[in-house]
Amino acid sequence: MTQISGEELNRNRAVDLALKVYVVLAYAFVFAPIAASFVFSFNSDRFPSIPLGEFSLEWYQAVASDPLVWQGLTNTLVIGVIVGVVSTVLGFGAAYTDYRYHFMGKQVYLALALLPPTIPVIILGLAMLAYLSRIDLSGRAISVIISHVVVCAPFAMAIIRLRLSQMDPSLEPAAWNLGASEWATMRHVIIPFTKPAIFGALFITMAVSFDEFAVAWFVSGLNETLPVKVLGFLQGQVSPRINAIGTFVFVISMTLVILAQILLSGRSAPTVEKE
Amino acid sequence: MNRDTLVSFEGVVKRFGSFVAVQRMDFEIRKGEFLAIMGSSGCGKTTTLRMLAGLEAPTEGTIRLSGKPINHLPTWERDTPMVWQSLALFPFLNVRENVEFALKMRGVGKAERRRRAEQWLDRMQILEFAERNIAQLSGGQRQRVALARSLVVEPEILLLDEPLSALDAALKVRMQSVLKNLQRETGITFVYVTHSQSEAFSMADRVVIMSRGRIEQIGTPQEIYGTPRTRFVADFLGSSNIFSGKVTQSGSTGLEVATRDGAFRLSGSVPHLPQSGEEATITVLDTKTNLSVTPPEGNLNVVPVRVIGEEFVGATATIYTETDTGHEIKVQKSHDELASLPVGAGQRLYASWSPADSHLVGAA
Amino acid sequence: MPRRVSLYSLTFSLPLLIWQLLFFVFPLVFLVALSFWTVKNFAMRPDFDGVNWVTMYGRAVFWQAYGTTFALAASAAILTSVLAFPCSYAIAFKLSESARRWAIFLMVIPFFTSYLVRVYSWQIFLSDRGIINVVLGWVGLGPFGMLNTVGATMVGYMTLAFPLVVLLQLFSLVFIDRSLIEAAHNMRCGRLRTVFEVVIPSARVGLTIAALFCFILTFGDFVSPVYLGGGDPTTLSILITDTTKSGQQWPRAAVIALTMIATLLVVAFVTVRFAYKGRSK
Repeated sequence: MTQISGEELNRNRAVDLALKVYVVLAYAFVFAPIAASFVFSFNSDRFPSIPLGEFSLEWYQAVASDPLVWQGLTNTLVIGVIVGVVSTVLGFGAAYTDYRYHFMGKQVYLALALLPPTIPVIILGLAMLAYLSRIDLSGRAISVIISHVVVCAPFAMAIIRLRLSQMDPSLEPAAWNLGASEWATMRHVIIPFTKPAIFGALFITMAVSFDEFAVAWFVSGLNETLPVKVLGFLQGQVSPRINAIGTFVFVISMTLVILAQILLSGRSAPTVEKE
Repeated sequence: MNRDTLVSFEGVVKRFGSFVAVQRMDFEIRKGEFLAIMGSSGCGKTTTLRMLAGLEAPTEGTIRLSGKPINHLPTWERDTPMVWQSLALFPFLNVRENVEFALKMRGVGKAERRRRAEQWLDRMQILEFAERNIAQLSGGQRQRVALARSLVVEPEILLLDEPLSALDAALKVRMQSVLKNLQRETGITFVYVTHSQSEAFSMADRVVIMSRGRIEQIGTPQEIYGTPRTRFVADFLGSSNIFSGKVTQSGSTGLEVATRDGAFRLSGSVPHLPQSGEEATITVLDTKTNLSVTPPEGNLNVVPVRVIGEEFVGATATIYTETDTGHEIKVQKSHDELASLPVGAGQRLYASWSPADSHLVGAA
Repeated sequence: MPRRVSLYSLTFSLPLLIWQLLFFVFPLVFLVALSFWTVKNFAMRPDFDGVNWVTMYGRAVFWQAYGTTFALAASAAILTSVLAFPCSYAIAFKLSESARRWAIFLMVIPFFTSYLVRVYSWQIFLSDRGIINVVLGWVGLGPFGMLNTVGATMVGYMTLAFPLVVLLQLFSLVFIDRSLIEAAHNMRCGRLRTVFEVVIPSARVGLTIAALFCFILTFGDFVSPVYLGGGDPTTLSILITDTTKSGQQWPRAAVIALTMIATLLVVAFVTVRFAYKGRSK
């Protein structure tokens, strides 16, 4: 008689193990370029490969002494913050509208609110370039901001909408019933409830703007952002300087995305554990 | 092993980590019977069923099907089809495809599959819905699809995990008779897990009552109802008045138990007669208990009580009373029998029952 | 609940509507107009002339690029879906609750982190003197020319789409009712067969949408074909950048862009129809 203890009857350990190994390999594939960029940004060799050369900060120094890189970084940060704030405000409005109201043409409204990220950036870049130069808004920092908000607001909208859907739908009417006006309810009920999502959306949209290069490349003119600068470097020769900038870019966007995820995964109110 | 035995559980234990879901279970399921496993949630009844289906592996012990141990067999190598509480109908397949699924897995040819599926759909009176999506069916129709899907392979045994719990009361009663008739006609052994006493007692030939991973009692509904083997069973069924105390007299014709509410006698033959001084628990069905305004005559157990309230279900009424010590005694009677009795809250009455109707609970 | 149009409701609904009309819808509509403009002496003139459409559609190089792009994106969608599925499946069914949360957390990060730099980093692995060739050299193989090949482009496409495809597949897999899988097992359906008979049909909508997103992302991407594929074969996105950045031929670029949007719309429509085929609410 066979004794099977504890373990699940309908599982196969070998298959399970193979699948888990596969998962590890998949994550290795996804994170390999990020790790490589990090490692080789500190590597003295001019051509990045193995075996590794000596530890060196020369590429960081080279990048730091390039005024154009500083200019690009400043542009990126300023644009990123503005885009984050504007996108989050617009996204919040749209999310609340979808949560609260039913109206004719809502499908179209939602399409406008959510579709832009599915349009290839290259097409968006071309359309923006043509349109913005027509209305004399091309080649400036504001052009990048305008275009990035178009792409980023849908992310903010989705994140905040998700949070609103977790809200007890009777909270808002309850506040009205207790004598709060719509505005007061917005300020004292809706906004406090959605606060983690608002900050999550802010960080995510900043990260998206921070990394976006294609549309920015088309419309930025002389106000190049850092990713556009990287694109410029790429068109030139291979240089570990890109690894240095890349590592820097990774650290910032990863920080933003991690912060956003922590905010979004946290439970708003301590929920009583069942059982 | 008995020739009639289809399934046997031999010392079966199931642990999830440190939690013991089923503790050392020994029982048999007979060929062709309708067996209900009943208990409150978390008692181990569903785990028991899932071990039989091969969805959980026993931590210890052996489960045999037709005499052969099946512990090591994954569920797809057993012939133990199950009907899920959620029904688990495949939403991406239509009614016919759902019913054909098990046949397809057995490599049955297309035409034969169709024929057998339609035969069962017809038998379950849902042939007209064969091409429908699952989402288009009512609760009762889905129930029938789930039954057809499991029965199409004409198994020796069918496992059912609270399949009626999602239905409304009227439909539930209708499906109970469908199930009972189906079982009788096909002769297939049904193992039916439920928390509902009415489902178990109205359909099953035998009932297993479980609590905290243990079998409390196995027997026909009449046996369990009339002679609960443990205090838990008596409590769980909720149809008996229960008294515990010390045995003061013990003899071949009966015994007397001193409780906080007085000394009560029990007559008749009792297996494993307890000795004087031992703890004992006696029960009496609420239908065998009477109420009167004055103390009744005759050889009866009597205790003064106060009415707390009453509850009407259909043609019967249950009067809830309590003794001076706060012990609850309930009495179930037809409306006619109660017509002459004042049963307003606070009314003082006498509860009484015959020593011959008392029953000694096994454990204690 | 107050339903009428109020200052309050407009305060929240209008800003995004106005922004997306002004800066999303109008640019795309303008692109349509632009495709009918004419270019003389490197200067664009508003016009209504089909010449750009006729010119572009008359060029073999355009149709070649179209075919290439479509084939590459379709292959990427299938390849990425197939390679991502075991990963999503394992995360959904073989990991503990907390490991699954970590897996999702980690997969979201690369989706939002610089695709451009990640593609550049692949050069470190794939170039002639890169990590992979060095390692292969140790065992006496190679060097293989991996950079500037279609294979390298695919690696780039997967860099772009793999995390999103895994996440989308995962979301459809974790919502599969576990009792469906048990029921299949219970009816003699073995492990592998259950994946094809139950898991994939149950998750069909999510799996199809994931593949669609992969197609959309890669169809419009120009980074991988340029920096990993070496610009050869030419894709539509390369054609757009070339046409735009050199020679002021914006109207012709607009023709390409509009053709791409039309293609994406048709593909999306057909795919969604397929995903929901035979489903009713």
